[in-house]
Amino acid sequence: MRPEDTAPRAVLDCGEVRTCLLPAGQALDSRAAAQLLRLRADERVLVSERPNVYGRSPDVLTGVDCPLPSSNGARVRAVGTVAARAALTEGRVLQTSAHFRVTATGPDHRRPWGHYLVRPAVVEPFGRLPRDAVAEGLLGGGRHGDLDVGLIAAGLQTRLLRHPLLDQRPPLRSRPTRLRWVAVPARDGDGPSLERFTLAEDELRTVRLRVPEGTASADVAALCDDLALHDWLLTTLVRILDGIRLGPGLPGPRRRPAAADDLPVVVGALRPAVDHLLHLWMPRARVPGHLAPLWDVLEDEPGFTRQWLALVQRVRDQLTLHAIPSARREVEPTP
Amino acid sequence: MTEAVFRETTAEPRTQSVPLAHLSLELGHLYMEDFEAGPGHLRRHLARVRPWAEAARAAAADRAGTTRPRVSTCFLIDDYFTRFSSPAELVPLLLAEADRAGLPVDYLARESGCAVAGKVPVAEAVAGRIVEEPPPGSYGNRPAAAETGWLANGVRSPTARAPQAMRKAAAWQPPTETAARRHSVFLDVELWDDTPDGQRVWSCPFLAAVWQLARLGLLRHQGDAVLEPHPHTDSGFPDDWDELPALIRLNPRAAPFAAYRTCSVLPNRFLPVEHAVRVILDQTDVDPEALRQVAERSAREGVPVPPSVADRISYLFYEGS
Repeated sequence: MRPEDTAPRAVLDCGEVRTCLLPAGQALDSRAAAQLLRLRADERVLVSERPNVYGRSPDVLTGVDCPLPSSNGARVRAVGTVAARAALTEGRVLQTSAHFRVTATGPDHRRPWGHYLVRPAVVEPFGRLPRDAVAEGLLGGGRHGDLDVGLIAAGLQTRLLRHPLLDQRPPLRSRPTRLRWVAVPARDGDGPSLERFTLAEDELRTVRLRVPEGTASADVAALCDDLALHDWLLTTLVRILDGIRLGPGLPGPRRRPAAADDLPVVVGALRPAVDHLLHLWMPRARVPGHLAPLWDVLEDEPGFTRQWLALVQRVRDQLTLHAIPSARREVEPTP
Repeated sequence: MTEAVFRETTAEPRTQSVPLAHLSLELGHLYMEDFEAGPGHLRRHLARVRPWAEAARAAAADRAGTTRPRVSTCFLIDDYFTRFSSPAELVPLLLAEADRAGLPVDYLARESGCAVAGKVPVAEAVAGRIVEEPPPGSYGNRPAAAETGWLANGVRSPTARAPQAMRKAAAWQPPTETAARRHSVFLDVELWDDTPDGQRVWSCPFLAAVWQLARLGLLRHQGDAVLEPHPHTDSGFPDDWDELPALIRLNPRAAPFAAYRTCSVLPNRFLPVEHAVRVILDQTDVDPEALRQVAERSAREGVPVPPSVADRISYLFYEGS
């Protein structure tokens, strides 16, 4: 008998992933990555080298006892633990994520803490869970004092970013993103589906999923880590190319006189992308097989990989053009 | 589901399983002063333990039903807080008195082994697994500054500040036990302190909590079992406590050291310590895979363990000190 078997059905999974560039001049090697991710001395960091270099910390739990956010103002108190963990891809992109699942019902009083600790990453409501209102509330963000899964992911991120292994000299400018997700059970007989992927303000993305009953919470979290990683890569590369001055530019009072000086500017802006980002694109690398098809939706519309390949091609074309000595260039490169 | 063709062992969690008995029965937990009091003191202690030990065995047999219960006995010697005499002198004395009382000791452990077992800093690892019970209103924010080295079963009384001139002192507010039934029994446990030269000294309740986890087969270090029993092969015992393995198996035919449940027969003076042990165990996030292994095997044997770790331990307190 597994401890979970005695618990009521879980009907809602929720999590948040924070993705950022590791603030270090060089990517961390596997050994340093394992050191960074060792959140607990007695538990191994999982290290994988296929299909890319990836390390994942053990889970750490945070206890919560507070109302769940809801879209209709219902204040349902819930008690349990939220699991958080950190992952590092190719020693370069740091992700901290926190997730939990909520049961359909719970007792109307708080049980001894040991009861919750043997059900890691499970939160039990007092009474019956108004599932849809809470799912909406979780995606929309709650009021102050409501369960804040993002705060837990951010806390772990802050802790790791202060690690002495990091020299705080990132090779390129980028902004962290956060991806908040909820998963509710699929209708009987249906497979998993991605219902909505929203790019919101303030680098927030929200994802709404449906998964068949019995899908492990950790599997859904792994899918969302993968979505968050690739969304961050796209966002970062778009931003590098956005606003970059290509070609000779227009003559103007503030323009420096020598056209040759422009070359290093463009190359200097694009080179870190080549050094640190372009090899990281690998959708589905860490997604459990049964959830991998959910990527297809995003590949069709808006076409994550399509956009990525176009951007990569653009970076490479620019660098190729600038590799040709300017004296031999008949036409100046333009966007 | 088909099995994956490609596997990477460093990418997969791995947790060693340990052999398990039905019951781990602790016959005593002796401090050096107990030995200092002479063999007569030891004899009286064991004579009081005996009926309760038999009761614990009978209860285990009842629970096991038709199968013969596997019960192992153990004894813990404190060599952590005080050092006295030597194993060569004390251990044979203890074993002789135990045999005479009809309470053979299967396993002997040193309390220091609960702090550091071999090279594994067990106590530190367990301290790293404490997940404090959240008071109502915890929404994922950082817990209010915890008193380092202390663990409570509720919310402490607000710190009384010295009243400033012309201002009234804030009224006292009581501490509250989080899981209280109307009225609180608030307990604040000191887990460790540091000596002036920076050495950490673990408290007796904290080491006793580690001892319970060891007996429940729930301790792991990077997936490997810790505090594994060493067979006792020598004819004698060493002159230095450090040379004695942290856990030794004295009876080669003994049931496994770790068990689904534990029972400790202790004098009354241990009552506050063991209350503290429950508070600690109730807030310790035990290795989930170890937990799963024990739950699965106990269920298969028809003696499912209670889900909560603290509910797997029991005590029999006898009169005396």
